[in-house]
Amino acid sequence: MNGGSSAVADNTAAAAVEPILDVDGVTLQYKTKEHLITATYRVDFKVYPADRFVLLGPSGCGKSTLLKGVAGYMTPVEGAMTLKGKVIKEPGPDRVMVFQEFDQLLPWKTVKQNITFALTNGGKCAKQSEAEDIAMHYINKVKLDRFEDTYPHMLSGGMKQRVAIARGMAMEPDVLLMDEPFAALDALTRLQMQEELLQLWEDTHFTVLFVTHSIEEALIVGSRILVLSPHPGQVKAELNAHQLSHESVGDPAFGELKAKIHNMLFADRILEDDLEGKGQQ
Amino acid sequence: MSKNVPELVMRPEFEAGDIQDAHTGDVERQLSIFERVWNINGVRKIVILFGLVATWQIYTVALDVEPLMFPSFTLAAERMLNDLFYGDLIWKIWFSVKVLLYGYGMGMGIAAVLVLWATASRLGSDFIATATAMFNPLPAIAMLPLAMLWFGLGTASLIFVLVHSVLWAVALNTHSGFKNVSQTLRMIGENYGLRGVPFVWKVLVPAAFPSILSGMKVGWAFAWRTLIGAELVFGASSGSGGLGWYIFESSQNIETEGVFAGLFMVILIGIVVENIVFRNVELKTVNRWGMQR
Amino acid sequence: MSSVPQTVVRDEFEAVDLGSASHGDVARKLTIFERIYEMDSVRKFSILLLLMVAWEMYTRVSGVSELILPKFSDTAAALYSAVAGEQLLIMVWNSMTILVTGYAIGLAIATVLTTAATMTRFGSDVLSTLTAMLNPLPAIALLPMALLWFGLGSESIVFTLLHSVIWPVALNAHTGFMGVSETQRMVGRNYSLKGIVYVVKLLIPAAFPSILMGLKIGWAFAWRTLIAAELVFGGSISDTEGEQAGGLGWFVFANQMDMQIPHVFAGLFTVILVGVFVENIIFTNIEMRTVRRWGMQSS
Repeated sequence: MNGGSSAVADNTAAAAVEPILDVDGVTLQYKTKEHLITATYRVDFKVYPADRFVLLGPSGCGKSTLLKGVAGYMTPVEGAMTLKGKVIKEPGPDRVMVFQEFDQLLPWKTVKQNITFALTNGGKCAKQSEAEDIAMHYINKVKLDRFEDTYPHMLSGGMKQRVAIARGMAMEPDVLLMDEPFAALDALTRLQMQEELLQLWEDTHFTVLFVTHSIEEALIVGSRILVLSPHPGQVKAELNAHQLSHESVGDPAFGELKAKIHNMLFADRILEDDLEGKGQQ
Repeated sequence: MSKNVPELVMRPEFEAGDIQDAHTGDVERQLSIFERVWNINGVRKIVILFGLVATWQIYTVALDVEPLMFPSFTLAAERMLNDLFYGDLIWKIWFSVKVLLYGYGMGMGIAAVLVLWATASRLGSDFIATATAMFNPLPAIAMLPLAMLWFGLGTASLIFVLVHSVLWAVALNTHSGFKNVSQTLRMIGENYGLRGVPFVWKVLVPAAFPSILSGMKVGWAFAWRTLIGAELVFGASSGSGGLGWYIFESSQNIETEGVFAGLFMVILIGIVVENIVFRNVELKTVNRWGMQR
Repeated sequence: MSSVPQTVVRDEFEAVDLGSASHGDVARKLTIFERIYEMDSVRKFSILLLLMVAWEMYTRVSGVSELILPKFSDTAAALYSAVAGEQLLIMVWNSMTILVTGYAIGLAIATVLTTAATMTRFGSDVLSTLTAMLNPLPAIALLPMALLWFGLGSESIVFTLLHSVIWPVALNAHTGFMGVSETQRMVGRNYSLKGIVYVVKLLIPAAFPSILMGLKIGWAFAWRTLIAAELVFGGSISDTEGEQAGGLGWFVFANQMDMQIPHVFAGLFTVILVGVFVENIIFTNIEMRTVRRWGMQSS
């Protein structure tokens, strides 16, 4: 997208705007059958309104765990996460999550019902008719009109992810959480979905927290990138990428930043050769 | 609807110089021994089993329940061991198992022939669909009166109803399993020049194995239930002895601990077949091939 | 190196105008006969008809004793007279009442067990231990104990039916709940679904294929147990409770005792009809409207 620089507020304004999400020194741990794993260690970052904030790192850097923490599925053992000044304790409809897995759509509900289910149960709409109007609005936005009464198993992978995104946006959450939403798609569809996501963002500048393991995707989708190191996840850098988009893929600036992040991730010589390839699994 | 959209907030970039070592304890820590032992399923289940048996024993002894109505665990266990080692319970079990194996084997054989016919011709396929739709919902035990009429009071009648209980369940599942084998796998088989019986044996059977296995499990469950039921009915009408007959005899003689001893054996055999025999077949085939979780 | 074949470079080619195919129609309708023959139900129905004709012919030609294999026509006549004059329908009703009672109570108990098992790990362990032990135990084997505890009456049959329904239903429902994908659970919690609402709106539909499977197996076992119990009962309490006491199993048993073989066949037919009705009409319909439509079941 090209509106990057015009959409950017003045540098000095940063202090005036309050961050939406404040992650402060968060350490997350979880148990497996045999071990207690520390996924992230004292991670700090702030997400501001209209950010397309990307968590980037190789597999095992705890980025998905971090996102689950923000969503409220896990509680930190150390540090705090606050959303608009309130500490995050449990999952809630103010932070809607879009997952990588296609089965995130409820198979027993049609496309429209999946969205109205979220709206009525998430406390967004009291009336069914109101929910249906909102649902249709977002179905049109993701170009799925004519499919509103289809059951998810009839849709392709890309269409399913579109429904999930529509469902997330319809809830108008404070922050939309996306956990590698395009990783299970084929390369062409992924490109198309990235572009569509940016177009949708142009409309309302909603806030996104986006997890990916692809440097390129981070540069295209993100306006701000948090680079994490693996085992356990720690912050390596926070970089700006708002000036980059699909059009700049061939530019030297794009290549430079890509190489910089690449070096950052591989400096520790922890060779995660699936850094790029894992998406095609 | 986008009048007042928020704008991007610019802020300086940031790079961590040197990442310090994490020191909230370990990145990976082993759970304590107690946590790990308690995490073993077998341990928890055995504890529960002991709890159940203890409750039973305490209930019967403490409340002084009439043993004719509900004997204590020790009484029933004692009776079981006694009859196993000094009585003829072991022979009765053998009698039941033998009849069951005959019936199961014959049922499988007939099912195999029917399904082969069904894969070879559409008439066969239609026949099997009609016959299973009709006979599968018919409890095999209901055929017992007819079987007694046709084959008299003997093992032949028992085997007849057992065949009936196994045949349709297995044929139904195998047939639908074959129908659902993916077109790709069929084409691969034909690509290698497999036709006829080798095609069925080398492509269809392994590809449909999850379905066949589930048919065999359902067939076993029905056969086992039918056999025990038939022996109970037989008990009422004649009196030749298997495990079901042992239970019936004990209850007629109001030896309740004998009934429980018989039930223990029924459960034991059931567990051996379902959790050892079938479980192992599953582990070595469909689980290993990743066709089933 | 031996000589390898080389690429043959040819001229490029692009089709300019695609002429319409003049070789018959692209899609041709099949003839009426072909289309009728393609209908599954027609073929199956004719097979059924064929079987009946074969049966009738065989009994007429071979002159086999009516006590071994009655004619089809005699069986049909017996069925008619049983329905018209011998209260066969009332017997079916008696059987179904007991069956539904047992099935419903069994479902309720299974629900309680599964709830306990889904909420706590201890409950889950208790349930899996109990099902591993009691699921392989044929319910009919409990009939002697039930007779002792509850006496000769429908309570005993209901008790055995409970046993035949509870374990398969609880086992399958529990496996179903355990198998609900983590993603779908998180989606539900994302919308702040909690407690019973979460179970009803998310877990139950997500686990429905498995639950339905449990319901079907439970029905199959209960139906078999009921018929068997009535056959056994037939031997022990036939005349203690008046004429209307018996069920369908009892009808088969009593007629076999009286050597009314056409009536035995008529009874078996009724058993098949009830079974086909429940399995192929009730359950298949539920399946069509739920799991098939949602694409949650492959076949």
